[in-house]
Amino acid sequence: MKILGWPQKSTDKAEEQTVEEAVLTSEKMQSINLNAWFGDKKVLKDITLTVKANSVTAIIGPSGCGKSTLIRCFNRMHELVPNARMSGKILLDGKNIYSSDVDPVLIRRRVGMVFQKPNPFPTMSIYDNVAAGLRLTGVKKGHNLDEVVELSLKQATLWDEVKDDLKKSGTSISGGQQQRLCIARAITLQPEVILMDEPCSALDPIATAKIEELIVSLKRDYTVVIVTHNMQQAARVSDFTAFLYLGELVEYGETDGIFEDPRSELTEKYITGKFG
Amino acid sequence: MARLLDAGLEQLTVMVYKSGEVAKSAINLSISAFMNGKDAMEDVHDLSDVISSMTVEIENKAFELIVKYQPVASDLRIINSYMKVAYDFERYGRYAWDISFTHKKLGALGECAVASDLMPKLVEKVSLMVSKSVKALREHDAELAKTLADTENEVDELYFAYLNQLSKARAQSKCVMCNLLVSRYLERIADHTTYVGEAIVYIATGEKISLR
Repeated sequence: MKILGWPQKSTDKAEEQTVEEAVLTSEKMQSINLNAWFGDKKVLKDITLTVKANSVTAIIGPSGCGKSTLIRCFNRMHELVPNARMSGKILLDGKNIYSSDVDPVLIRRRVGMVFQKPNPFPTMSIYDNVAAGLRLTGVKKGHNLDEVVELSLKQATLWDEVKDDLKKSGTSISGGQQQRLCIARAITLQPEVILMDEPCSALDPIATAKIEELIVSLKRDYTVVIVTHNMQQAARVSDFTAFLYLGELVEYGETDGIFEDPRSELTEKYITGKFG
Repeated sequence: MARLLDAGLEQLTVMVYKSGEVAKSAINLSISAFMNGKDAMEDVHDLSDVISSMTVEIENKAFELIVKYQPVASDLRIINSYMKVAYDFERYGRYAWDISFTHKKLGALGECAVASDLMPKLVEKVSLMVSKSVKALREHDAELAKTLADTENEVDELYFAYLNQLSKARAQSKCVMCNLLVSRYLERIADHTTYVGEAIVYIATGEKISLR
C-alpha cells in the first residue's frame, strides 16, 4: 500500500512504458472454482478466471448472468448483502482475499469499485469528494492532499474541466464528469485493481467516449475489470473478454478473438444479438 | 425474432451472388469467343461495367450495415469477406474484358487458341475454378473452396509450360502475343478464384488460410 506520497511515483518505470508494453505482464487476480449464492439461489457456478495485470478485462453477458456478482466477489462486497455467500478462492497477487487473516476493508482499498450510476457525495465539494477517501484513511491537510487531489483529477482526465470550480458541489457537474469524479475518488486511494460496473450506462455518447479513453489510459497504472452490456464498448476498450451465461463462464479469451471468431456457439449467438 | 441486421445481410448476400454470376458469365463469354475466334468485346465490356457498378453497390451496402449495426463475429466476417469477394469478382470481369479486348485488337485469331493443346487445358481449368468459386460462395462451402488450391497449382504449371513453349517460338507473331496475354489473364483469374476461396473459408470457419 502506498497512499501517502504517491505523487513521487512519477519516476516509476511504468510511466516510461507505452500502454501496449505495460499490458499483459502477469496475473493480477484469479478466481478459482468460485461459486456464489443469494440465499438458496446459486448465481455463480464454478468460475475459474484469470485477470492479467495492467489490462482491461470485460465481463459480458445477459442480465442476471452474474456479471456484477462476480466483480463484487472480487473486492468482497458480495458478502455485504444479507443472505449472500460464496465458496472457492479469489487470489490477489497470489493470496486468497477470503483468507481469515485478510481484512476486507484493506481489500476494498486495493480493489476499488466504480458503480453504474455516478455517486459523488452530494453534500461535498468536488475537492472533498476526491479527498474523502484519503481523509477516511486518516490523511490530513499537509500530507500532499492538494497534490494528490490534483493528480487524481488529472489521471481521471477531469482536472482541466474543474480546476477553477473545486469548491463547487460534486453534483453540480454533468453526469459524465461526475463519473470521472468517482473514478478520481477511487484513484486517490491508489488501488491496484479498479472494478467498473457498467460505468457508462447512464451517460451520453460523448461522456461515454471520454470514460472509454480514460479506461484505456488507466491500464498503464492499474488493472481494470469492467462489466458492460455494450458489446462494442467491450470490443473497444478491453484486452480480454469473459462471457457469462446463467452463472457459468462460457468463454474467456483475447477480445479480438472473441469478437471476430468466438469458439462457443453460445457466445456467437449472444454477441451477434441472436439471443439475450 | 429476426434481427434488423438479418434483412440487410440477406440483401448483401443476394448482391454478391448476382455479381458472381455475372462475373462467371463474362468469363465464359470471353473464353468461348476467344476459343471460337469470335468478337465479344462489347458484350463482355458491358458485363464488366455491370460488375463494377455492383461492386460499388456492395461496398455501400456493407458500409451501411457496419455503420448501423456494428456487426461482430460471423456477421462481421461475412460482410468483410463479401467486400473482398466483390472486388475479386470485379477483377474476373476486368480480365474477361482484357481477353476479349486482346482478341479484338489483334484480330480474329481463332486458330491461335488451339495452336497448342495447353491453351484449351488452361481454359478448361480456369473455367472450372470460376464456377467452383461461385458455387462455394453460394453454399459457404469451405471444403469445396479449399480444392481451388490444387487446381490453381495445375493452372500455374500449365501457364509456365505454356510460357516456355511460347518463348521457343521462332518468330514473333500475333498468335504468340495474343496467347501470351490471354494465358496471363487466365492465370490471374485463377489467382482471384483462390482469393474468393480464402474468403469463403474465413466466413465458414474464421480461419485465415492461404490457398496459393
